[in-house]
Amino acid sequence: MAFAWALRNLSRHRLRSALVLLGLAVTSAMLLDMILLSGGLERSFEQLLLGRGYQVRISPRGTLPFDTEATIPNATRLVTTLREDSSVVSVAPLLGGSIYARMSDSLLTLFGYGVDPMSQALYQVTQGEDLLPADRNGIILSAPAARLLHAGIGDTVRLVGVLDPQMAQGRAEAVLVVRGFVRWLYDYEGQPSVGAWLPVMQALTARSIGDRVSFIAVRIRDGVAVDPVVERLRRGLPTLEINSVGDMVAHFRDRMVYFHQLSLILGTISLIVTLLLVTTLLTITVNERLGEIATLRAIGVSRRRIVEGVVAEGVLLTLVGGVLGTALGLATARYLDAILTSFPGLPASISFFVPRASGLLLAGGVLLVAGTFAGTYPAWLAARAPIAATLRAEAT
Amino acid sequence: MRALDLKAVLRVDDVYKDYPMNGERVHALRGVSLDISPGDYVAIVGPSGCGKSTLLHVMGGIDQPTAGSVSIDGTVLSSLSDSALTRLRLLKLGFVFQRFHLLPVLTARENVELPMAEAGVRRQERRERATRLLAYVGLENRAGHRATQLSGGEMQRVAIARSLANSPAVLLADEPTGELDAKTGQEILDLFHKLNTDGVTIVVVTHDDRLARAAGRVVQMLDGQIVSAP
Amino acid sequence: MAYRMVGIVGGIQLTLMLAPVLGAQVAVPIAVERRLAGRMHLAVGDTITIGTAPDSVNSKAVISSIYEPAPDPASVTRQDLHLRMHLPDLAQLLGAPDRVDRFGVKLKPGVSAEGAAAELNQLAFGFRAHPSRVIASGSSQTFRVVSRFHRAIAVISIVASAVFLLCIMLLKVEERKPDAAVMRLVGVRGRIIFGAVVLEAVLVALVGSGLGVLLAALAGSLTNLYYRRLFDTRLVFSLITPDVLIFSVALSLLLGIGAGAVAALRLVRTPPLVLWRR
Repeated sequence: MAFAWALRNLSRHRLRSALVLLGLAVTSAMLLDMILLSGGLERSFEQLLLGRGYQVRISPRGTLPFDTEATIPNATRLVTTLREDSSVVSVAPLLGGSIYARMSDSLLTLFGYGVDPMSQALYQVTQGEDLLPADRNGIILSAPAARLLHAGIGDTVRLVGVLDPQMAQGRAEAVLVVRGFVRWLYDYEGQPSVGAWLPVMQALTARSIGDRVSFIAVRIRDGVAVDPVVERLRRGLPTLEINSVGDMVAHFRDRMVYFHQLSLILGTISLIVTLLLVTTLLTITVNERLGEIATLRAIGVSRRRIVEGVVAEGVLLTLVGGVLGTALGLATARYLDAILTSFPGLPASISFFVPRASGLLLAGGVLLVAGTFAGTYPAWLAARAPIAATLRAEAT
Repeated sequence: MRALDLKAVLRVDDVYKDYPMNGERVHALRGVSLDISPGDYVAIVGPSGCGKSTLLHVMGGIDQPTAGSVSIDGTVLSSLSDSALTRLRLLKLGFVFQRFHLLPVLTARENVELPMAEAGVRRQERRERATRLLAYVGLENRAGHRATQLSGGEMQRVAIARSLANSPAVLLADEPTGELDAKTGQEILDLFHKLNTDGVTIVVVTHDDRLARAAGRVVQMLDGQIVSAP
Repeated sequence: MAYRMVGIVGGIQLTLMLAPVLGAQVAVPIAVERRLAGRMHLAVGDTITIGTAPDSVNSKAVISSIYEPAPDPASVTRQDLHLRMHLPDLAQLLGAPDRVDRFGVKLKPGVSAEGAAAELNQLAFGFRAHPSRVIASGSSQTFRVVSRFHRAIAVISIVASAVFLLCIMLLKVEERKPDAAVMRLVGVRGRIIFGAVVLEAVLVALVGSGLGVLLAALAGSLTNLYYRRLFDTRLVFSLITPDVLIFSVALSLLLGIGAGAVAALRLVRTPPLVLWRR
């Protein structure tokens, strides 16, 4: 009954209620967006890291994968050692760096990945075939690379590496056959990337000396806890950086601390504005209805019922405003995400605003609490108003 | 010490009421005593500012006396907690105000049902009773109209029906015809007469001579005191 | 066209360890940045060993100076620590003599950077020349994205504020309906009432804008204080420029007065008796 009564009271002043609902929709939208932002980026990053099921990353000491041009030496021996670990299901060594493709008499700059196709953590085949095992002649392309090179499946691509400006030529060259097109999980939008068998790419980028790779991804057996394995690897490989996906997300969170704090600050401000809006509206409407409230008290309606009625109005406002705000918030989240995902170099599959049920529930819950709380002060005003004095004031 | 009227349903005993106004103390009631018996129809009259409405508020438990006591059906009001006093008002008293004070968002029927809903009466029963009460006051055809759609006289009749919702021991009315024209006021007068004839105990504060003449007893007040109370 | 070669440190991984001076190996002079010196408790004159891999830290270096690097917003969150060496020393350490990552070229006055870059690119094999302005623009892309994001948030905030403001003004004006009704009934013209409400809105907007500026200045100071400590940098994170100030104040005045005008218009257009009835 309290809500039915609240609905009718709010309908008394339609323009006023509509404006408040509009205001609440905008603030709720902002609150929802900030909740989605606060954990969205990390979730998106975590999903990306676990996309191929590899829970551990091994990189040069003091770095994160692809953070710098530093490399890990003696990769083959390290990979063999890791594969002997009973907790380990798969080990994927990876090399990354600039590589060039010869097109007529010019060189196109590409990003080259050296992979082991039998265990890789970087791509999904979208068309054609993957590299063959120990494939000395094959290459896989991203769609942008294929467009840039005008290359289709079965065509040949001439890769050039270790450019010598003095001799005006590359010291390493390879002619490779396009096996298929792939989506590189960590590429930014439009990145022209190519992939070849690891030794081929090592030779092209002069990383053969020392058998170097950029990082190694490790997949742990199902049912085995990751953290103890990480600790064990750290003890066994003190000259390398060992990170679980959780560690990497934590590092990422540190680098993205600004967005966390922004989401907290803006979310808090949105909540405060929501509170202010509802409290102000209810306080003013309670003041307008003091005579009515005094009459209710006079005829025997309890304080509790009065408080329930006012709080119900606040809750109803925030609920309806919240529903409207959800639709608006999801739309603005898409818009804001489109802005932020245009960061240069950001993997195309990363999102900042990740719509999720828990986020929606949290926003709804917070709004509900805020709406209840916002009605508290005006409800207290209403319940405390002295009956006789109020009726006297109304009569004059 | 005055004589005890054992039949009194509402008893006011040597009540004083002071309140502050603009930095001074106003002595609204000064030693007022009054007994209301079942079936009484009492009009409290006097010039503006004599304390009539204050006396009504104190009698109805919506204002607390500075000194003295008020009891209803033997229960001293000052001994009750706020929630108990509220409950007593709900079940024992009915109020009619000069400005009607209906809830504009509710229909006539819903306004009448309101005290019954608060008293915990089941929906079907309170609906039926509300319909009967509205018929009693001649508004059965307006039951579904919102209060804002009613005329002044109709609103006051709904207010009277509402005041009877829980079959109160006493009906307290503060200037019930104050906002009505002469013709409509007469209709309310007739309704009060009908109510009293049917056994409702009524105490009415009024400037309206017709109401005063229609009452069984007239209590005259001046400067916070009863100067004449047959 | 003249060119001058300026060598700079490339991206390498260095592991530093404090160690007593050993043997007769000649220590190369290095300069370390202040944060690195602070973290490892290094002072000018200290001898340390450096290397390019964790298991080959065995080249001696002596700290010749401690410097404060120019604050770089692009790398402030990465918390990388740097040191500087003479180019030949670094090349030696890396085992790649006569190799650099890039050149910086200072042109003679009047020479166009674009022209110089184009000429170099025609001659180039294995490298590309870019005008510094283009590099700067490219590397500013991150901050342009952040600016767009901030602008979008600001627009949303302004919309919310405008609605809130309009709501509050309407509510406040509605509270004064009886007063307005009485004034109209005794003959005060609607224009006077309108002017009074708008004047009140102007005053509220002015005071509100002033308070807003103070609040923004305070928030900005706190932001700078916090992030400077967090990232140990001299970068300015929040800055209120004159145009930002003027725009903000002008917009808040506009919104405040606009909201007041809308509310006042509603008030004077309602017939007095309707106002009176509340």
